[in-house]
Amino acid sequence: MRKKIMLLAFSAALLGSCTAVKEYEKVNLNDPDMALATKKVDRFETNFQAYREAASGANGGKTGGGCGCN
Amino acid sequence: MKKLTIITSLIFFVLTGLGQEENKNTDTTAYKSRVLESTEIDILTSYYSQEGDNAAVGGGMGTEELTDFTPTIVVSVPLNDDDVLTLDAGISSYTSASSSNINPFDGDQEADPFQASSGASRADLYTNVSGSFSHSSDDRNKIWSAKLSFSNEFDYRSLGFGGSLTRLFNEKNTEINISGNVYLDKWKLLYPVELRHLAGQDEEQEPGEDEEDDEDEGVPWELMTGNLNYNPSFTPFKDDSRNSYSVGMVFSQILSKRLQGSLSLDLVVQDGLLSTPYHRIYFADVANSFIENFQLADDVERLPDTRLKAALGGRLNYFINETLALRTYYRYYADDWGISSHTASIEIPIKLSGKFTLYPSYRFYTQTAADYFAPRELHVSTEKYYTSDYDLSEFKANQYGFGISYTDIMTRAHLWKLNMKSIDLKFHKYDRDSSFSAWMGSFGIKFIIGDL
Repeated sequence: MRKKIMLLAFSAALLGSCTAVKEYEKVNLNDPDMALATKKVDRFETNFQAYREAASGANGGKTGGGCGCN
Repeated sequence: MKKLTIITSLIFFVLTGLGQEENKNTDTTAYKSRVLESTEIDILTSYYSQEGDNAAVGGGMGTEELTDFTPTIVVSVPLNDDDVLTLDAGISSYTSASSSNINPFDGDQEADPFQASSGASRADLYTNVSGSFSHSSDDRNKIWSAKLSFSNEFDYRSLGFGGSLTRLFNEKNTEINISGNVYLDKWKLLYPVELRHLAGQDEEQEPGEDEEDDEDEGVPWELMTGNLNYNPSFTPFKDDSRNSYSVGMVFSQILSKRLQGSLSLDLVVQDGLLSTPYHRIYFADVANSFIENFQLADDVERLPDTRLKAALGGRLNYFINETLALRTYYRYYADDWGISSHTASIEIPIKLSGKFTLYPSYRFYTQTAADYFAPRELHVSTEKYYTSDYDLSEFKANQYGFGISYTDIMTRAHLWKLNMKSIDLKFHKYDRDSSFSAWMGSFGIKFIIGDL
């Protein structure tokens, strides 16, 4: 785990040194399909994966909690 | 403690280092656009169906048939230039063969783990509501948010709250988000029907059942076969709470005019009742008792009352050209129950025109088994912890997805004062390397209120 955190720190330092892309150059990055978040409609997919797989993340289940025990 | 120091150092290092970049390059306070121009309404719904032969309620054997229909509404309201209030509410209506077999004797047909009981416990509702508030600074480089949530189903109640802080640096090329969430959950302890007399629960109400509707509650003991001296060493749980505490950090970076990515770290601590009270266990060293075709439980699953989870993930999105983009994701997970997992997924949005986009996707998932998992009749009664829930077993899963999206940025279609902005339709097929499979269809439509 410590190695992974150090890797994260190293990556953060490395990525932080990248040349900045100006606002007017972000037309491709601002495309909705380039967003680093998931779409709202994808929440159901995330929910059933959190229910059926043991490796659920920061949330115990569906939006707002829930056991997902059925 | 050492991990906490490393994480704190990392956060400090990145915040201070990149803050200097911000001072050099940012002067965006002259003009301030609204964070959200108009009220947005998302109406979302999904239909989910699964099947399999390893129901945890049947101690690792029995039908896992389940369907779930979930209509949801999300409303985001701009309170002023800087603040947004979001309300999110949903109802999930499910039918579950598995939960119906908490009491397999309340139906019209013979009790059988591969047959859903037709009793009232076959269906139930899950409701959830949450509200969040976010505030952005004048230069839009600092955002904080707070969230409160509540959910309820027959045997489970959850109260959650949390917050997050986001900072943008380096001409908004770099973003760091730190979040924390707490869920305080409460069980209504519901045991398999044949064990309830040992917990003083003879008249216990079941999911979907009216308070008066308990005429079929009884276990037909006179039909018992096999070991007629059924005397399980069952003791009820003392604790009915489950608490989850999580912290997360996401570092996002623009890497070029076409490439951006993020790294995320999640840490979760859970305590309380982490077992499910109606998951049956069948021991190898206890003689078997049956009623009709249903084997009576020797105990319910017993799992440790704490769990520490850690997940490290990364996303990388590449804009190939005006038609194609590439969205990739990887996540590694490990916990102190012995489970580790890898998730990898790829989605390739294909723009057919300015309005229509296709979303083919593939996701691979694999996990190792929990230290406490074994199939039915392989645990022995002298073990401290045991489960036959196949969600905690070793498996691999493939998921194939396809979606289509229609977007009209001019919002020309109207419904009363609602201007339609987009429609999304998605379909997913999920297959484990066992008998378990599932599919899901989801639909979303976004409206914007008011003149644009």
